[in-house]
Amino acid sequence: MAISEKPVPETSTWTEPFWKAARERKLIIQRCIDCRKNIFYPRLICPFCFSKNIEWIEASGKGTVYTFTVVENNAPSAFLNDMPYIIAVVRLDEGVQMLSNIVDCEPDQVRCDMPVAVTYKKINEEYTLPVFKPQSIR
Amino acid sequence: LLFEQSLPILSYTVQRTVNGGKTMILKGKAAIIGIGEVPSGRFPERPCIVSALDAVVMAIKDAGIKAEEIDMVMPTGTVYNAQYNNEMITGRLVEELGLAGKVKINVQAFSGGSSSSTLMKLAAAMVISGAAKCILCVHSEKLATGVSMQGGIDLFSTAGIAKEWEVPFGQHYSSVAALATQRYKYETGTTDEQLAAICVSNRKWAELNPNAMFRKPLTIEEVLTSKMLSTPLRSKQSNMLADGGAAFIVMSAEKAGNYTDKPVYLLGSSSRVTHFVYSQEPDLTRFSYAEAAKDAFREAGLTPQDIDVMEIYDSYPIYQLIGFEETGFCKRGEGGRLFLEGHTWPGGKYPVTTNGGMLSQGHTGGGGGVALLVESARQLMGKAGERQVKDARFAAYTSTGGTYYDAHVTILGTEVPN
Repeated sequence: MAISEKPVPETSTWTEPFWKAARERKLIIQRCIDCRKNIFYPRLICPFCFSKNIEWIEASGKGTVYTFTVVENNAPSAFLNDMPYIIAVVRLDEGVQMLSNIVDCEPDQVRCDMPVAVTYKKINEEYTLPVFKPQSIR
Repeated sequence: LLFEQSLPILSYTVQRTVNGGKTMILKGKAAIIGIGEVPSGRFPERPCIVSALDAVVMAIKDAGIKAEEIDMVMPTGTVYNAQYNNEMITGRLVEELGLAGKVKINVQAFSGGSSSSTLMKLAAAMVISGAAKCILCVHSEKLATGVSMQGGIDLFSTAGIAKEWEVPFGQHYSSVAALATQRYKYETGTTDEQLAAICVSNRKWAELNPNAMFRKPLTIEEVLTSKMLSTPLRSKQSNMLADGGAAFIVMSAEKAGNYTDKPVYLLGSSSRVTHFVYSQEPDLTRFSYAEAAKDAFREAGLTPQDIDVMEIYDSYPIYQLIGFEETGFCKRGEGGRLFLEGHTWPGGKYPVTTNGGMLSQGHTGGGGGVALLVESARQLMGKAGERQVKDARFAAYTSTGGTYYDAHVTILGTEVPN
């Protein structure tokens, strides 16, 4: 089976700062200046109060695994060589949730509600993904 | 201050309206009068348009109408081939059926797996308002033999999965289902054996369904020893993409009586849209079916205890279990036991997903839901053959589209309760 290239994020002008930060190994999310709510994924308009006054803040990078799965078979073409890999929904301490991968963790060690911390996985020169590792690993 | 003072009055008024009548504009006023369906499975020699036309001709015959009476055609989306889909959008069916110049509206209504519920509700609203008189709803798909196996996986790793926030992490439909399953197991203590039993239950029904793709008996052991895809989801807990086609015809309840003694009335219908990006779903173990069900049952004037047939959308066992529990047929966390003990099988107290669902009848894209809606009508019409649920009067049908972005509950019946 031919392995196709890794899909890179299809970005928009207003999400570029997120990916630029990730390239610099920083995790940033948005905060609405008017209603003070944290926002992920990045928007032009606050989904809570429709304000366009939105700022970027650096996230703590800490959170917990809401749920996860270990992909062992039948992955999309570009990921066939990565199996087994862990996909997780991570709930950041800032109250937002995001899909990511869990790395530096044996597949049988990942658990729901496990504390995790951000780390980074470079796809190519342009894109780096924020991924997570168990907080017990430094 | 004025606003704050008036708010309770406003919400009281809205509440009264919801309880008292305004959401009941559809109840009992529209009906399915005919259904058609071709077998699901691998049919390389059967062109997709033939799946559509065969199903339509069956539905026309079943309804006992003349084709010329159809004044609106609503094909739902087909994803295996963009050209074919465009043809459906731009009137191919109208021409193929010899209805050019007679049909007034041909329009696609598509919400993925919940297209069935959407078609039903839109068609009902159109015939009740008088904007249309007789509506043909159709689905056809060629996902088994129109695309390669890996092509199918790749298609569904992008269809509805966010390209910026999920696809780069290797998300695809098996992992989507696995994420919900993992959390649901964690919160409720439901076992792998119970989840496997859902597949077995569906297969018991499919054994009795000539249109199903998989009809050989299935055991819990076979499910639990099948290939692990994304933990804890195994290959036999995964649906199989299929070719298929189904159709149904909707008329106002007033006119339906002229054609059939057993119109299948729409009694209640509600839904919630809860996310776009799957990982933004606030509760991957509930999906707001409970809220939709509350509205739908209230509109119908029924409770879950009144329901004879529960046509719960599957695609994967976890969604069927959540749909079954949240719609109100048992307490959360107790559904797995009911499936395991056979209460959902043919002859059981809870006849659930009686065509075998997408896990056994096959996944025909948006048609998986259409097939299950058609099955709801078939059971209520008393035309379900060997798997007929005796004296079925009321059916609850659930569906969801994309990466489970919405939750629909539709109540149907052969009579209109007060």
